[in-house]
Amino acid sequence: MNYFPEEVIEHIFDSIACHKDRNSISLVSKSWHKIERCSRRSVFIGNCYAINPERLIGRFPSLKSLTLKGKPHFADFNLVPHEWGGFVHPWIDALAKARVGLEELRLKRMVVSDESLELLSRSFPNFKSLVLVSCEGFTTDGLASIAANCRHLRELDLQENEIDDHRGQWLNCFPDTCTTLTSLNFACLKGETNLAALERLVARSPNLKSLKVNRAVPLDALTRLMTCAPQLVDLGVGSYENEPDPEAFAKLMAAIEKCTLLRSLSGFSEVAPRCLPAFYPICQNLISLNLSYAAEIQGNHLIKYIQFCKRLQRLWILDSIGDEGLEIVASSCKELQELRVFPSELHGEEDNNAAVTEVGLVAISAGCPKLHSILYFCKQMTNAALITVAKNCPNFIRFRLCILEPNKPDHVTSQSLDEGFGAIVQACKGLRRLSVSGLLTDQVFIYIGMYAEQLEMLSIAFAGDTDKGMLCVLNGCKKLRKLEIRDSPFGNAALLADVDKYETMRSLWMSSCEVTLGGCKRLARNAPWLNVEIINENENSRVERNEEDEREKVDRLYLYRTVVGTRKDAPPCVRIL
Amino acid sequence: MEKDGLELEITELRLGLPGRDVAEKMMKKRGFTEMIMTSSGSNSDQCESGVVSSGGDVEKVNDSPAAKSQVVGWPPVCSYRRKNSCKETSTTKVGLGYVKVSMDGVPYLRKMDLGSSQGYDDLALALDKLFGFRGIGVALKDGDNCEYVTIYEDKDGDWMLAGDVPWGMFIESCKRLRIMKRSDATGFGLQPRGDE
Repeated sequence: MNYFPEEVIEHIFDSIACHKDRNSISLVSKSWHKIERCSRRSVFIGNCYAINPERLIGRFPSLKSLTLKGKPHFADFNLVPHEWGGFVHPWIDALAKARVGLEELRLKRMVVSDESLELLSRSFPNFKSLVLVSCEGFTTDGLASIAANCRHLRELDLQENEIDDHRGQWLNCFPDTCTTLTSLNFACLKGETNLAALERLVARSPNLKSLKVNRAVPLDALTRLMTCAPQLVDLGVGSYENEPDPEAFAKLMAAIEKCTLLRSLSGFSEVAPRCLPAFYPICQNLISLNLSYAAEIQGNHLIKYIQFCKRLQRLWILDSIGDEGLEIVASSCKELQELRVFPSELHGEEDNNAAVTEVGLVAISAGCPKLHSILYFCKQMTNAALITVAKNCPNFIRFRLCILEPNKPDHVTSQSLDEGFGAIVQACKGLRRLSVSGLLTDQVFIYIGMYAEQLEMLSIAFAGDTDKGMLCVLNGCKKLRKLEIRDSPFGNAALLADVDKYETMRSLWMSSCEVTLGGCKRLARNAPWLNVEIINENENSRVERNEEDEREKVDRLYLYRTVVGTRKDAPPCVRIL
Repeated sequence: MEKDGLELEITELRLGLPGRDVAEKMMKKRGFTEMIMTSSGSNSDQCESGVVSSGGDVEKVNDSPAAKSQVVGWPPVCSYRRKNSCKETSTTKVGLGYVKVSMDGVPYLRKMDLGSSQGYDDLALALDKLFGFRGIGVALKDGDNCEYVTIYEDKDGDWMLAGDVPWGMFIESCKRLRIMKRSDATGFGLQPRGDE
């Protein structure tokens, strides 16, 4: 290949988009490394502290698209303090100063400020796409800057962020000349929306394919929006608490009927059940349906709709659908690839009669041969069911099972669920992501270490007996990238057994386990290329360094490989060893 | 992340209203503790307490309902979804989340969702249920005659007597609740009832 001129090689590389492949290419030779890095358009950084912006820009000067992830996954469950870190500002600042031609920025679990958004909007004249997932720290003022200044904006996608809604007029800030929008998602905004501005914006965006509005967009406004955007492919609906009057309902249905390209539907938080039938005209076209926020719609209404969605590939739903509902899904949705069933009762102290059980899971596995990803919150499980599921669906890539009660055994045999999960990892040879729950001993981890050869991410909670469990996973899962553990009896012996392993992984999280301060210190000494972070609950409770007890157990440990050493922006509650 | 801190030394545990005898009180307390400590799973060999798993010690949470609701970050539903899809939050417009509730004489805190109560009466019932005995409700309604007062910390950090302001105003400003003995309340800085 080295006999070809660089331009030819570059041309060949252009057709390789996958990050992993490009990373591999760059390792072949110096010249390939150079060609690759100069032509790389899109970079994915799974941990923003693994590298710094200056080195990123140094290596990839032609960068157009950047994806950054900040806080560890368990931050989603309030296990990471708000001030932990993951600030995007230094990145935007550095990219701006280096005059990188940034066009796309995708952030997950990062802290974004209005100043950052303002800087972003002013620094990159070709900026096209901003996707923020589970981020925080900004307000609608920041959105106003993006709207006002990004002349070529195509995509503004805000997913599940905590945004301070100043009830301003950010939608008004899109200039009249802005006609390039293809995707607009502001479902997570809490405040009122300027409906007139929204309607004008949608009307002048002929390429708009995806529109997800927030709860403040009422039925009649939605009708008007859909009437002037019949080309929509992806729609997120607002909230309609009251039953619509017949005329409004008819108008909505008529507008929906015209949206023949509609393939994906979501939203529906606080929606009166009788609004769902308005969407009957397009149900047989739907590929993706997210009703997981529709707490007001009961199982039977959901079923009435879903049973006609014959082409459905992706379904996110609440457990109010029940086992019977899932049986109907299994018999209707033969194309189903991804299913997520979320709990509808999070704090109920009574038994939740609506929750799903192993019966629903088995039904889905039997009825949906293309199923490869599942997230399933249920109140009980059995080994027999899991063994059946494994037989029915050997193609799982992602299998996340959450039995709501920690440590709950097989409800029929009262045994642990080791055998059930063992069957899953043995049958599903392509399994990349696994979350386990229920009563589990070290045995399940022996199975995981033995069989889960492709496993990249493993989540463990309230499981295992001894260090052996964690050791089996670390030794056996060669492709492991992320390991997150909470409330399990794994300690220093497991943590320290193979320090080099962590260089092959992105990160390790351990909270409420048995690792001690002394163990973590030893790890940090033996592995200088790791950042070993101890996250304390209360920085005031820390004793003087020379008094501290190395036998003290560590609340939360988060370690990750990095090429840029200790980060400088850690708050007081985070101690980097 | 919550640490169910031992704010009070466990020297004297006094629950119940005046007039109850000590034995009854202790039985009540044991019953409550037993609810927490008993495990019906097959892991009852270990001594367990179903409190928040924030300490370094591993404490397997048993399957008692009270304990279940206390574990931080469990079930693993992301916080955005928690705030936006719970049935409780959809009935009130206040995305309040949980507030801590402490009670004098009880060595651990509880958390409750104010949004799931419709008014002070509801709150009284919920508090009774939370601490496993009647009487807090009485404290709320008929304050002057009861051994306990229910106070709350508002947005400004002041401790206020619960029940004075309209319910809507209360849940918007309440940051945490405390059920304290009336005898400790004098000199605590509460504004007397009826003061404008």
